[in-house]
Amino acid sequence: MGIAVRDLSRHYGPVVAIGGVTFDIPDGEFVSLLGPSGCGKTTTLRCIAGLEDPTGGVISVDGRVVSAPADGVLVPAHERRLGMVFQSYAVWPHMTVRENVAFPLSVRGIGAAEAGRAVDDALRTVGMAHLAERHPSQLSGGQQQRVALARAIVGHPRVLLFDEPLSNLDAKLREGMRGEIRRLQRRLGVAAVYVTHDREEALSMSDRVIVMEAGRIAQIGTPKELYRRPRSRFVADFVGKVGLIELRRDEGGWRAADGTPIRAESGEASGAQAIGAVRPENIHLHPGAGATMEGANRLSGRIAEAQYLGPFTEYVVEAAGATLRSYAQLDLEPGAEVTLAIAPDDIVLLPAE
Amino acid sequence: MAPSEVALRALYVLTFGTVLLLVLVPISALLYGSFRTTAPGQAGGEWTLANYANLASEGVVNTIWTTLWIGLVSAAVCIVVGTALALIIHRTDFRWPRIMTVLIGLAFYFPSFIVAMAWIIMGSPGGVVNAILRDALGIEWLEVDIYSAWGIVYVTVLHQVPFVYLTVRGPIIHMDATYEEAARAAGARPAQVMRRVTLPLLGYSLLSSFILVFVLSIEQFAVPALIGIPGQVTMLATQLYLLVRFTPVDYGLAAAVGLALSAITGAAICAQRLITKAGRLTTVTGKAGRVAPIPLGRWRPAANLFCFGFITLALLLPMVILLYTSVLRWFTANPFAGIYTWRNYVFMWDSASTWASFWNTLLVSGVGAALGVALGLLCSWFTLRVRPPGHRWLDFAVVLPFGVPGIVIGLGLLWSYAFLPLPLYGTLAVIVIAFVTRFLPYATETVGGQMVQIDRSLEEAAWVAGANRLRAARRILLPLVAPSVQGAYFLLFMAFFREISAAILLYAADTKVISIAIWSFFEQANWGQASALSVAATAVIFLVLLVIGWLVPAGRRF
Repeated sequence: MGIAVRDLSRHYGPVVAIGGVTFDIPDGEFVSLLGPSGCGKTTTLRCIAGLEDPTGGVISVDGRVVSAPADGVLVPAHERRLGMVFQSYAVWPHMTVRENVAFPLSVRGIGAAEAGRAVDDALRTVGMAHLAERHPSQLSGGQQQRVALARAIVGHPRVLLFDEPLSNLDAKLREGMRGEIRRLQRRLGVAAVYVTHDREEALSMSDRVIVMEAGRIAQIGTPKELYRRPRSRFVADFVGKVGLIELRRDEGGWRAADGTPIRAESGEASGAQAIGAVRPENIHLHPGAGATMEGANRLSGRIAEAQYLGPFTEYVVEAAGATLRSYAQLDLEPGAEVTLAIAPDDIVLLPAE
Repeated sequence: MAPSEVALRALYVLTFGTVLLLVLVPISALLYGSFRTTAPGQAGGEWTLANYANLASEGVVNTIWTTLWIGLVSAAVCIVVGTALALIIHRTDFRWPRIMTVLIGLAFYFPSFIVAMAWIIMGSPGGVVNAILRDALGIEWLEVDIYSAWGIVYVTVLHQVPFVYLTVRGPIIHMDATYEEAARAAGARPAQVMRRVTLPLLGYSLLSSFILVFVLSIEQFAVPALIGIPGQVTMLATQLYLLVRFTPVDYGLAAAVGLALSAITGAAICAQRLITKAGRLTTVTGKAGRVAPIPLGRWRPAANLFCFGFITLALLLPMVILLYTSVLRWFTANPFAGIYTWRNYVFMWDSASTWASFWNTLLVSGVGAALGVALGLLCSWFTLRVRPPGHRWLDFAVVLPFGVPGIVIGLGLLWSYAFLPLPLYGTLAVIVIAFVTRFLPYATETVGGQMVQIDRSLEEAAWVAGANRLRAARRILLPLVAPSVQGAYFLLFMAFFREISAAILLYAADTKVISIAIWSFFEQANWGQASALSVAATAVIFLVLLVIGWLVPAGRRF
């Protein structure tokens, strides 16, 4: 059943926060909403939760329509039976851990004995059972986030919502929590919506990612699809580092700005102009005019900058009238002449804007 | 609609209705009265514009000038003294910051009419200061007369400086230390840092505080009444009182004077709000830093003299004089010639009317403050959190009394309840209504100030967890704003306890509150009784402060 969103919109006066968004999330699927700030991802999540009122479209949760402004349907947040984890944790400071987690059950009138068992279960699941009597002020950020997680799952919701839950944690803790949230969601078999602006988080955790731009969906796909086959310059740029080569078509095929012929086998571009997008790891550098791979595009260029990062060096290379990035384990100095080899399959054609 | 929605709406209508009634009734009565030839409720009145024309008469114009210059001079002196105190206490290596903070806090709650009375006893032509000058020091050419405009300025400054100190202290303590450190690193000496970085950064806070003190100085009633009426120095607030209470009465002109005064204070409050809004962008960040204190060096004795000198004049000396006067049989400036007696206290203890006024005060302060805080809490919740249609108007109605002086509210209510068929005239309820109306903005500022700092997602998490809005407010928001609710209660309790201006036109013989009782004794030149009662009232105030000091830390658990 999961979540179904049809043509959702949210306007603040003349400002369009969401302008017609449609997607489905079946039970058991983990989907991220990814985009820069102001793209409408958080507003979409808050509309699903009932914390904000959409101006148009239909939202169904677990088979029940919870919001359809055209038909006058608007189920308030407290009747939607969702689990939600907030960016600021929103763990109530005046209640103990146990009271926090028991709250969703007590407001629904569930008896103390049954609630007690459910709370213990939830706290064990997130590994916080030993701190049940503490106050939030005595907990670390990571521990508070676990309490928030326990509170979200204690009522057995069919849908879990996450609003940038890890952005206030330090980097190391964040990576651990990613795995935990994912394991927990798989075990519960619920639909999950996860809002984030961190592409690594979205790519590593999600079954599918919805990339949003200016209130609309730019692309929906699995992490691999989005990274390897972006359909627009925005998506290509947002999900990872990318080099963009401006191309124009002539009789023989595509050519770069300096006339270098470019063979590209993926992506779709109509018209006389296109952009070829290449990920840094797919550009193979060779010093001088050295040998290159069989069947690859051959570009000559010059190193503009080098940043040594340990496992490899990130080079900024000027080639084919474009500024490209490449990861290589070679040691080259800025100014060095190089040859770039790129397999035709690694250049994704995108529509020129 | 769900039952919880119905309850929410009903509560909103009730809150909005109460506020409108509280604020609009006295203001409309006043507006109406200002266009009539007789007092509202009296027969035979006609519509007229003469009252406004009379505002331009020489007497009223003189009063307006007197009011403005006394207000401006008092505010200017207050800002200088108050800021100097705050800087000495919190920015230098002054040795007694804690004790000074406590003493200034006490001075803040020390009622202005008691300070005025004490300084009248000291500074009147036959008072202590002149006796010392003439008899002890043999100085004939210098005579002090408190009954003058400068007397009003002097006592006003003594009373308002703690307010300035309390408003600028926060910005001074919380100012981002890196600004000053950057100035030091750029080579500025401590004095230069103070003059070129610290004070300019405080500019907005100082200006905002200046305007507030100006408003407090021109709307106050007790000090200009006690000092100005005998000295024939009239300010707008006292002019209104004289026009209503003494022949020749002119109710219409009184209303026009009240509205003129409200226009000045209202405009000043608007300006202050704009300045605070603009200032928030530029001055002070949230993080408090420790700056190395500025060494006082050879200025230490001067700083000590300044701080303790101020406290002596504003708090200690008035207390000593009142204690002294309260145990004298007949007043004399020479303590060696005095005949000492407990009879003022005995009389106070035996007097049924004094006890009645004490109970009235406790009732008005205790119950009235609770009502005021409850209403303020609801207003803040609706305007800041629920935001139903019309909440902006509610917000506007709540802050409106901020610009209306107490005596003007009193006059408005006097007329409304003399006029309306409600059995409120001459009851304690009407005094409670007046006080709640006047101090409602204090409650909403205090509670609202904390409410905006509580992350919205705490409530949202409760909704998602299944609690409706009322329930989420009760279980999550209310416990979290509890400290400010407690703070607002004490603030209102203390304000109600000391208030004279809003009650002076409304009290009846059996609804006297303690402040009015002291006032009456003093007006009858019964200095002994007035002093004894003042000592008792001050004791109660300091006792309550002690209780607050003991309770409030318990309220800040989180």
